[in-house]
Amino acid sequence: MKGKVNSLSQARDVAQDYRLVPEDFMKHLLLTLGIVAAMVLIASFLFGVPEKQPLTIKAYATQHPVAFEQVALRALDGQGQLANYGPPYNHGTGSVQTSIQSVVGILHPINAAQDFILRPLSMAAAINPALRPSLKAFASASAAQQARWEAAATTALARASDHNGAVVWPAGSYGPVRTLLAATLSLGRSGLMYGALTRDGAVVDRFDNQNALLFLQGSPLQTDPATQSLQGSAWGIIHPAINGYPGAWWMTVPTWIYQWPFVANSAAPDALALILGFVVWVLLAITPWIPGWRRLPRYLGVHRLIWQNYYHDHPGGQAGAIRGEGVHHA
Amino acid sequence: MANWTEASKQRLQIVLSADTWLPTELPEYARGFMYMLGSLTASSFVVLVLSGILLAMNGPTSWSYNGAMRFVAATHFWGVQAFFFFMMLHLWRVFFSGAWRGGRGLTWLLGAIAFLMAIPTAFTGFLINGDLYSQWNAVQAKDGLNALGLGWVNLTDAGQMFGMHVVVLPLILAIIIGLHLTLVRVKSVVPPYPSAPILDEGQGE
Ligand code: HEM
Repeated sequence: MKGKVNSLSQARDVAQDYRLVPEDFMKHLLLTLGIVAAMVLIASFLFGVPEKQPLTIKAYATQHPVAFEQVALRALDGQGQLANYGPPYNHGTGSVQTSIQSVVGILHPINAAQDFILRPLSMAAAINPALRPSLKAFASASAAQQARWEAAATTALARASDHNGAVVWPAGSYGPVRTLLAATLSLGRSGLMYGALTRDGAVVDRFDNQNALLFLQGSPLQTDPATQSLQGSAWGIIHPAINGYPGAWWMTVPTWIYQWPFVANSAAPDALALILGFVVWVLLAITPWIPGWRRLPRYLGVHRLIWQNYYHDHPGGQAGAIRGEGVHHA
Repeated sequence: MANWTEASKQRLQIVLSADTWLPTELPEYARGFMYMLGSLTASSFVVLVLSGILLAMNGPTSWSYNGAMRFVAATHFWGVQAFFFFMMLHLWRVFFSGAWRGGRGLTWLLGAIAFLMAIPTAFTGFLINGDLYSQWNAVQAKDGLNALGLGWVNLTDAGQMFGMHVVVLPLILAIIIGLHLTLVRVKSVVPPYPSAPILDEGQGE
């Protein structure tokens, strides 16, 4: 039985002489499903699923008390990555990569001082009323006074030391800031801070971990030894969290683009890598309509392997047909 | 195309027919491993949907502590690897076949869109697993989305990501794969390049 000719213009690059042969399609489908199911079950049985312990606020506060107080201080004084991020979180300027980011505006408002530090502490003050005078003193101080305390605290924490978990500051005038940071550290260590950051007075369900995740997103997560192989500059997008497991290797092209110096050094590396990756995808997607490029496979000759048996059975059989019907000129 | 109902009816008669979906004869060239890659990709998607339903049924907290659910999570994880693995091999197969010939450009385009959509589908899955990888990816990838003005997609909102991963993205992906397969079945797989030497350029005159 002969295949049908779709149209004359297509005939030149599509073979016409082939037969239809009996095939049990249902068996084919069940076979492929069986193959995948078997592969997946065997891999799951042998290797399980990779899961790397996350970095919790509690663990970070316990293991790095001085650094933890520094993170809390940067949230309080507005110098932190998130505190000064910009849209969609706040009016900061630190992480504004494009103008469209500003146009879209603030969608998930975060006031780092209030949301990350002061409000959790005022909740803690319900349990520990000794905190109240410090909170009050901070709230009623002028912005300039707060800034002076915070600047002094920044200098002090750079020289502070960790004595069996207690952060020892050099002598100085920090107003209530020292007490507030010590209280934040206790809250962090207790394991209650995560809950305080994800609370929502209006609803009982907790779906949104935004503030709890963003609190640690700066140096705590960036300097964690476990994330070093995941850094963007280290091809991290395609790396797994646990060595030996496959990662998101299908992101190889954007990850590679991310390494290009002009992308890596640009003001908007993330956006640029994503856009250029998208351009590569568009080229792939419109391949059928790109003159020249769309003919490439015929010259590459890999199709001779794919259809080895067919070409074996039809050696040069069709030359006349093509020449007769399909010849078009460029 | 005066009568839309008639036109739709004619199309649906082909698309919904058992003859379209369960052929008893296939072209002689469309046999062997190279032609199993698309079906292996589709089978991986089926495995992902089935394991995904089991995971969704038991809820995210069960995935980390419950032995049986961890095993299901493992099948879901390896299913993703199989899906992308076979999809890439399939992509190379159809590329080297020039499988967009003979009016199959849209089939290729839909395949490419399936590839594109599969990426955020997998990514949102990584985000709701609750491990370091989730944590890292949520806070790292947000910068790119924010910069592109896509900040409404809040990667740190596990509720939004759960909905995206379990309903929105797989549904879109399933529809695209469905259209892709429909076109493949309706148009049949592309015949080989003619076995004659390439005449349509140099010797065309
Ligand atoms: C979600 C992933 C995909 C699935 C489930 C899928 C499934 C299939 C299946 C079952 C076939 C029948 C022929 C065969 O198996 O070789 C097919 C054909 C085809 N696919 Fe895909 N595909 C996917 C992704 C892609 C991608 C990424 C591309 C290219 C960018 C693509 C392009 C094509 C083309 C052009 C054909 C026609 C092949 C021919 O005529 O020989 N597909 N696809």
